[in-house]
Amino acid sequence: MTDKHDPNVPVGEPVPEASPSGIYPPTQEMLDQPVPENLRRARAEELRAAWETPRGWRYISAVNNTEVGVWYALTAFGFMLCAGVLALLLRVQLAVPENDFLDADRFNQFFTMHGSAMMFLFAVPMFEAISILLLPGFLGARDMPFPRLSAYGYWSFLIGGIFVLGSILFDSSPKSGWFMYPPLATEQEGVGPDIWLLGLSFIEVASIAAAVELIVGTVKCRPPGMRINLMPLYAWYVLVVGVMILFAFPPLIAGDFLFELQRSMDWPFFDPDRGGDPLLWQHLFWIFGHPEVYIVFLPSIAIAAMVVPTAAQRPIVGYSWIVLSAVGVGFLSFGLWVHHMFTTGLPNLSLGFFSAASEAVVIPTGVQIFAFVATLMVGRVRTSPPMLWIAGALAIFTMGGLTGVMIAIAPFDWQVHDTYFIVAHLHYTLFGGMVFPIIGGIYYFYPFITKRKMSRKLSGLSFWLTFIGFNICFLPMHLTGLKGMPRRVVTYPADAGWDWLNLISTVGSFIVAAGILVFAWDLVRPKGRQPLTPRNPWNAGTLEWSHDVPEEAWGVRSVPYITSRYPLWEDEKFLERFDDGRFYIPDAPDKLRETIVTSAVDAEPQAAVPVTGPGWITIWAAAFTGGTFILPVFHLYVLAAICGAAAIASVIYWLWTSTAQVPKAPSRDVGLGLSLPVYVSGSKAPGWWAVFITMMGDSTAFASLVFGVFFFWTARPDFPPAGTPLPDTLFVTLSAVGFLGAWAATVVARGQNRRQRVGTARGLLATAVLLALVATASLALALYLPGLAPKTHAFPAMMYAIGIWTAAHAALGVIMLLYCLAGSLFGKLTPRYDADLWNTTLYWHFLCLTGLVTALLMGAFPRLT
Amino acid sequence: MTARPPARPRHASLWHMVLAPVIWALHFAAIYGVTAIACAKADATDTARWTIFALSALALAGIALNAWRAWVQWDYPSDQNYVHDAPTAEHRREFLGHAGFLLSVVSAIGVVFATLPAVLIRSCL
Repeated sequence: MTDKHDPNVPVGEPVPEASPSGIYPPTQEMLDQPVPENLRRARAEELRAAWETPRGWRYISAVNNTEVGVWYALTAFGFMLCAGVLALLLRVQLAVPENDFLDADRFNQFFTMHGSAMMFLFAVPMFEAISILLLPGFLGARDMPFPRLSAYGYWSFLIGGIFVLGSILFDSSPKSGWFMYPPLATEQEGVGPDIWLLGLSFIEVASIAAAVELIVGTVKCRPPGMRINLMPLYAWYVLVVGVMILFAFPPLIAGDFLFELQRSMDWPFFDPDRGGDPLLWQHLFWIFGHPEVYIVFLPSIAIAAMVVPTAAQRPIVGYSWIVLSAVGVGFLSFGLWVHHMFTTGLPNLSLGFFSAASEAVVIPTGVQIFAFVATLMVGRVRTSPPMLWIAGALAIFTMGGLTGVMIAIAPFDWQVHDTYFIVAHLHYTLFGGMVFPIIGGIYYFYPFITKRKMSRKLSGLSFWLTFIGFNICFLPMHLTGLKGMPRRVVTYPADAGWDWLNLISTVGSFIVAAGILVFAWDLVRPKGRQPLTPRNPWNAGTLEWSHDVPEEAWGVRSVPYITSRYPLWEDEKFLERFDDGRFYIPDAPDKLRETIVTSAVDAEPQAAVPVTGPGWITIWAAAFTGGTFILPVFHLYVLAAICGAAAIASVIYWLWTSTAQVPKAPSRDVGLGLSLPVYVSGSKAPGWWAVFITMMGDSTAFASLVFGVFFFWTARPDFPPAGTPLPDTLFVTLSAVGFLGAWAATVVARGQNRRQRVGTARGLLATAVLLALVATASLALALYLPGLAPKTHAFPAMMYAIGIWTAAHAALGVIMLLYCLAGSLFGKLTPRYDADLWNTTLYWHFLCLTGLVTALLMGAFPRLT
Repeated sequence: MTARPPARPRHASLWHMVLAPVIWALHFAAIYGVTAIACAKADATDTARWTIFALSALALAGIALNAWRAWVQWDYPSDQNYVHDAPTAEHRREFLGHAGFLLSVVSAIGVVFATLPAVLIRSCL
């Protein structure tokens, strides 16, 4: 029975958690102890069975990072080729003056989709794809901590990407540029902007899911001994970029939320006639948009940080400096957003801050490039296909960086704003900062991923075509821009002096396309007859090159104990010990997929927890989530609501059946004389970290809405307008009290449950549900009773938007409480195994704060102004 | 509630490593907000400028303090180590100090840069 008490602990005392016991760190003698041959084989068989990839049509239910990562990367690459074709069509149209190859409407759709697809369907997803694929290898982990979450993210991305990109075939794409400025975009007829807003919001959710996965993977799933000062540089970059996604994407989601409310309900957030302001969208978009450039750039340069030491055959020079650079860029890149808005009439003083920050970010960015060059200078460089691409990347990126320094100065930007100079600049940074390093990385990691090598000759051909073509295409654009040609014009007059420059650019663009096609052919051409690659073909020093050739699905044979940054160079016995299965969890006695959880800074082992295996439920969950986002585009709100309910049901089923399961025994022998718990709750558990990280992102989105309120307050004299009804104080107060009470009940319930007072805990959870419902109803009444009319003015619209946001979160909070209550009743949640309740409590900390801020904004703020 | 684990020492904390850029971020957000409000609501350039100077002094003092503590944690003069690649608590402590020190330098530059417009521009226009 579920409420049976632990006989060893009196009721009222907290049930202790299992804790690690035994020997750590292992001694050299222990690591030298060979494993008998038959035991080694039997263990390998267990692992093989546990990690077997589904075959046949069941293959698509796989969730292993090596499968999902490859699908993800190929899908993103496919979208990139589509967006590239759009670019070629644009270049054909612009090749000669007064051309009519494309009409203006189609041209607008094409450039909008080119930018949107390259950013949202290629650049960011490609980072996630490559990280999901490679990170476990770098960290000697079996898999990512939440494999099903990766799969869910992938399927969401696929559905959303096809939906958004597919609109181009139905002549119904958005056409106001990838940044969708209102009022142009809010006024556009048809479904184009809705496709952009809802489709890309859906994909952003997938991006945040990937960020959560990658941060937790880096922080909690490093191998024992890999202290933070030994972490591969790639992992540092992943950590920084994951955190950046959490703070950069939510403002855009908040912006999308407001934008879509305006499109579908006519709430005037961006309509100046009714108290709105189009500039709010620009702020929210660029608070996302500028960090996003670095979100794209940092992981790519991280690949360079892995390739460069291998090419130089020596450890990286200035490890601390590169960490400084990654972290510093991560921070400073958030102080740049207004440099996209230099011409919008903000105070000069404000422009100065952003100009200054834009110059300051060059310092950390430059530091990493110098560290790479220094490493190459002091090493013995071997030329290799990957290094060629990285060298090209550094050259092109530096050019883009230099023009960046120019346009960061406001007066220069006023001259070239919205001209082809900007087009040239951004392509230099993105091609040099992203496309070249990624292709270099694919040449480098291809043997790791597929166990075969790509062609050296084709790499050279592809590189030189792309490099030369790129410069032919984009170098002249600096001049085209300085001569005054604006961006996004469908054609231009013959006597403007832009014709020959444009023709050169068009020729260059086709050379780039040829180069990319050669690469694509090299990537996908059949290599079945080719011999398998040697295990470590580049003689690299990092952990991923201990992979198995031919491939095994288990990730690593045993989770290693790490004592160096480059174990394959510096630890002679490493591979022997690794292959022999002398490190941790070399077996799978219960046929479970498991991974080791370690402490965040010093990577001391804390637990060996099961991870999820193949499942169809993630595909269902993604499909229903897709329906929830996509159907409102066509005003099918009822169907969308049904899909939403089905999505929630799918996620609950997924969590209930495969996460935080009560284990048979509290601990397991992981090898080397160490025994680790198999179930942890609270801040040791990866799931707790995932909730924490998700809620950081969620709070950022909420903070963006709060920013919106204060933005209107500073930008508009009539916010709130005189005589407008204000939210009802009594009900606002009641809602605040309700949120506080529900939160307190949840917190106390967790403690009581741990003290084996299960009945009390259940009662408290039920009380929390009740109070949360009261709080939500009060919030609704506070807005409804005084008669706030959101269509009339941005003020009531903003109040309603915040109310909807908080109410939706409260609904989720109620579902989580009911989930815990059901868990307690059905034996999934016990006094000792209470991870779900810890996670729910954590969620409620954030929800309570959201509820209180909402109450202050509704009850106090309008009365103080 | 379970018993809390013993508090981790400062030198094992990632938060302290990023304290200086966090100060930079708070400073940046504050001066942006001050300028937006002072210029939009009152056209009070001088109020904005002097508030910015005060905030910058405060931020620089905080960063300097943090830099000093990070320098002590790095402990460079003792063994002149700047590589920190050994699997020991000492190297991890020194590494976090080293990175924290470098981040303090960049953050200080960031704060000084962001203050310059208030020195040079004396108008809200």
